[in-house]
Amino acid sequence: MEQVIRPDLSFVNDVIASGGESLKKCYQCATCTVVCNVTPDSNPFPRKEMIWAQWGLRDKFIGNPDVWLCHQCNDCTAYCPRGAKPGEVIGAIRKQSIMQYSQPCFMARLVNDKKFMPLIFLLPAVLFAVVLTAIGKFTIPQGEIVFLKFVPVLLIQALFVPALGFGSLIGILGVRKYWKDMSNTRLSEKQAGGCLSCSTENIMNSVIATVQEVLAHQKFKKCDVAKDRFSAHFFVFYSFIALGIATAIGALYIDILDMPSPFKLGYGTPVKLFGTIGAIGLLIGVLLMISNRFKNAQKVGIGSYFDWLLITVIGVVMASGILSWVTRLANIPMLAYPIYFVHLISVFSLFVYLPYSKLSHIFYRVAAIVYAKYTGRDKTN
Amino acid sequence: MEKKYGVYICKGCSIGESVNIDKLSQIATKGMGIPLCKSHDVLCSPEGINLIKEDIQKEGVNAIAIAACSPRVKFEEFDFPGTITERANIREFVAWTQEPNTEETQSLAEDYLTMHITKLKKGDMPEPNILENLSSTILVVGGGVAGMNAALDAANAGYSVLLVEKEPQLGGFANKVYKKIPTGEYFTEPLIVDTGIENVIKSVESHPNIKVYKSSIIEKTEGQPGLFDVTISSNGSSETVRTGAVVLATGWKPYDASKLDYLGYGKKNVVTNIEFEDIAKKNNGRILRPSDGKEAKRVAFIQCAGQRDPNHLPYCSSMCCATSLKQAKYVRQDKDAVAMIFYKDIRTPGRLELYYKEAQNDPGVMLTKADVKGVSDAGNGNLYVEMENTLLGEKVKIEADMVVLAAGMVPTTRAPQEYLDGLTAAAAKGDDAKKKYIEETPKPDFILNLNYKQGPEIPSLEGAYGFADSNFICFPYETRRTGVYSAGGVKRPMDTTEAQSDAAGAVFKAIQCIDHVAKGIAVHPRTWDVTFPDPLMIRCTSCKRCTEECPFGAIDEDEKGTPFYKVNRCRRCGTCMGACPERIVSFKDYSVDIIGSMIKTIESPDEETFRILCFACENDAYPALDTAALHRKKIDPSVRFVSLRCLGGMNLVWVADALSKGIDGILLLGCKFGENYQCHFVKGSELANYRFGKVGETLNRLQLEAERVQMLQVSITDYEKLPDMINEFVEKVKELGPNPFKGM
Repeated sequence: MEQVIRPDLSFVNDVIASGGESLKKCYQCATCTVVCNVTPDSNPFPRKEMIWAQWGLRDKFIGNPDVWLCHQCNDCTAYCPRGAKPGEVIGAIRKQSIMQYSQPCFMARLVNDKKFMPLIFLLPAVLFAVVLTAIGKFTIPQGEIVFLKFVPVLLIQALFVPALGFGSLIGILGVRKYWKDMSNTRLSEKQAGGCLSCSTENIMNSVIATVQEVLAHQKFKKCDVAKDRFSAHFFVFYSFIALGIATAIGALYIDILDMPSPFKLGYGTPVKLFGTIGAIGLLIGVLLMISNRFKNAQKVGIGSYFDWLLITVIGVVMASGILSWVTRLANIPMLAYPIYFVHLISVFSLFVYLPYSKLSHIFYRVAAIVYAKYTGRDKTN
Repeated sequence: MEKKYGVYICKGCSIGESVNIDKLSQIATKGMGIPLCKSHDVLCSPEGINLIKEDIQKEGVNAIAIAACSPRVKFEEFDFPGTITERANIREFVAWTQEPNTEETQSLAEDYLTMHITKLKKGDMPEPNILENLSSTILVVGGGVAGMNAALDAANAGYSVLLVEKEPQLGGFANKVYKKIPTGEYFTEPLIVDTGIENVIKSVESHPNIKVYKSSIIEKTEGQPGLFDVTISSNGSSETVRTGAVVLATGWKPYDASKLDYLGYGKKNVVTNIEFEDIAKKNNGRILRPSDGKEAKRVAFIQCAGQRDPNHLPYCSSMCCATSLKQAKYVRQDKDAVAMIFYKDIRTPGRLELYYKEAQNDPGVMLTKADVKGVSDAGNGNLYVEMENTLLGEKVKIEADMVVLAAGMVPTTRAPQEYLDGLTAAAAKGDDAKKKYIEETPKPDFILNLNYKQGPEIPSLEGAYGFADSNFICFPYETRRTGVYSAGGVKRPMDTTEAQSDAAGAVFKAIQCIDHVAKGIAVHPRTWDVTFPDPLMIRCTSCKRCTEECPFGAIDEDEKGTPFYKVNRCRRCGTCMGACPERIVSFKDYSVDIIGSMIKTIESPDEETFRILCFACENDAYPALDTAALHRKKIDPSVRFVSLRCLGGMNLVWVADALSKGIDGILLLGCKFGENYQCHFVKGSELANYRFGKVGETLNRLQLEAERVQMLQVSITDYEKLPDMINEFVEKVKELGPNPFKGM
């Protein structure tokens, strides 16, 4: 069937502005799809994505699992004979995909536009300052350093639970829309007779397989040039899980069992072990991420604002977390409380910007992998 | 000339290890009666050369036979002005291709020495033939980029130039374009810049050495290099001027777009690339579409519109891809507009590849490979471009406000060629058909109106598609009319930058032509050759075979039908020598008698020993043999090679002489048939083959097998297989048995 192509110059400009400035260099030799270890064998990426983006074919990316199947190993970028950096371009397209699905889209624009960077940290800071001032707590408390003296449990609950809830909800709604679009695309392909994967697998099996794949970091293992990304992501991923467990147990103690905080000084619990391991793991992971970026900059590019924003936020979460712990142990209230304040803001940002930042890959990449498995797209011959 | 002979034998490059030099020397001293015969370990060394030079000075030696390497090498070392120098190739043909120190190898070396001393004895000192009243003015036809640059180059070199332009102003196509591709850095400059053509025009018009004829055409070109009498007609008046050489720079015309209806030409808002330039120029860069004057925001460019298509132009015009990228930048002066380019392949040769990259980097310049299947109306003056096999999908269509067809270049020489070829074809069918053709066929603009027996324009050449080309491998500037050199788009598709440098090349050739005719030397390809065809007219029967067969129109007939030479047109191939049934055409060092005498010296000792004579074309077969020798390929020792300037000079009497003397077989090595093979002398090999067709009579008379003579087509690159081809022939002759005339 004849397709009508409608080039959209603004999409080209958007991709270029989002870190895909090398987009136009591609001349379609397809070296990228040949060297990619992650792409399915039939209709592989990222060659076709490159020309769609060059022609501003925004519609082609709606309901397309491929841009999210890409793990940005950047083997394509390393081997590209023209310096078109397909890995970076696909990253920029993913950013466009986030803007498409994570509503409201002005939030996505805010998060992903370099010029709003001060604003996105300032907003939560102001919010916290205002709330703390309102309850008369925006001062450094006297005596033994107990962070709950500065920010009461209730306030944490009142701010962080909705923040995480909001972030998750937006992400889930985005995934729902994305899933629907993918299904529609497949349906229209089916009708056109050009269906790539007409049969479907069991959805539960696909989810289980996806979880296994993610836990084992299978795709990252296939990366060639940037093979160090495996360990970096591995550390960050499992550290967050450890920190998540620690937080959950903390919440269980305080909120549900109404027991004293397990994080109290001199009150050694296994929970603290989780927290400590998580913090150190995160430190290692973030340092690895940063060093990998610099190490491979020559071959695959240093990355875009989109990438660095997430690294920065996680870095600040990690650094302020560790520092507030250290300053608390050292008993320096003048440092401990302000650092804790920064820590709260950065964690809040992480939650509230979850569906708009690069972290939203938690939703979209997982959805794309499940969908690919579900429709057989993921099969390699 | 009183000849004082000297024979010099080189022992170097393993000659001394293959051949008994003392015995070989005796051939000269005893056999040929030349007492002065010396050998040297390395004859081309300063000591070796001095040995010869001393003899020239002290002994008065003026006829030198050198038995050493191929005459194709060391020609500077063995150049002794004021002497006749003959070279027997005993390195390549003996030392490098034969078993060392056998009886047959020795005999081969001796035969070559005998043959070349015989040639030396028969030949004579050439005197240059310098014609009178030669002009050193250069006529440039066409005032476009190529023509104007040619005029400037020649004028700056100190030659006076006449520049003839058909249009009322100079500039050619450069006048019609809005902007050009910059010639400097693409990264720092904008991708479209002003042509600056007005500065070139100013330089040409104000140059003291250049006389410009505008609104002028050439009525007639008579004469020959150094003596072209050109009648220029301007505004009804005519003037005849004498020039030495001609640079043909008449450029190209756009392909007839009416034949591109399958790509939508004829529909509103479908224009050619040339028309698009006009739109941009007229509106100072704004792209207003023809139907409604609306600004075109989506412009589709269809590359290879009729090009690389056997039904239209089978070739690539080489500049259209870059031109469309440039025009895409016109479109992109409006930041909201997009230019969409559909190509077969992007072809941006040389540095233009960088231009392609830069242009492609513009977000609004979108490219895809596509087979465009058609252009249809999309309403409101918009158009759909329908295509298949694109990078965007198997079958897609796209809507555009305007479509630009990247149409190709047709040389200005093509229309006259086609007309004249048609006329020849019609004339072959009889006078009525010819008359009808002349009446019914519109006569295109002729360019040079040459007064040549072979026709008034640059002849068509198979595979050149009407371009003024003759031999793009060896002589890129020379046309098939000696003294006429082509430059720019008339020669092959090229852009203005290329045309500019091409003009310089053509001017160099024109200057060389003027220089050579002033010295009485062949213009090309035998650029060293002082000899010229010198017929013994008293025996001429006016059969006109020479005038028919001369590929360069160097022989004309006077009112009585007697042939005469316009020697500056001659390229010294000797085709006339081969054509003449009376054998009256000779050069000082090349004649029927000289070659015949060389052949007659070949020893044929006994019935067991075979002798094969092989005529080799000096431009292809001979170098191939040298290369085969360089690769130490073995060739049967019975074969004796004789170099011919061109097989077109082959005379059948040599075959009869050789066979009646007992030569067992004769092999001819000519170049490949067909015009597109680029024979140096157009079709000498084919002519030889034609004449060879009549060799049957000779063989019948002698009651010999037809298989004893054979012609092979060889190209210069055939050196790997050539020895085997020759050896195979020798085996075949050996199967036939010895020539019964042997020893008679």
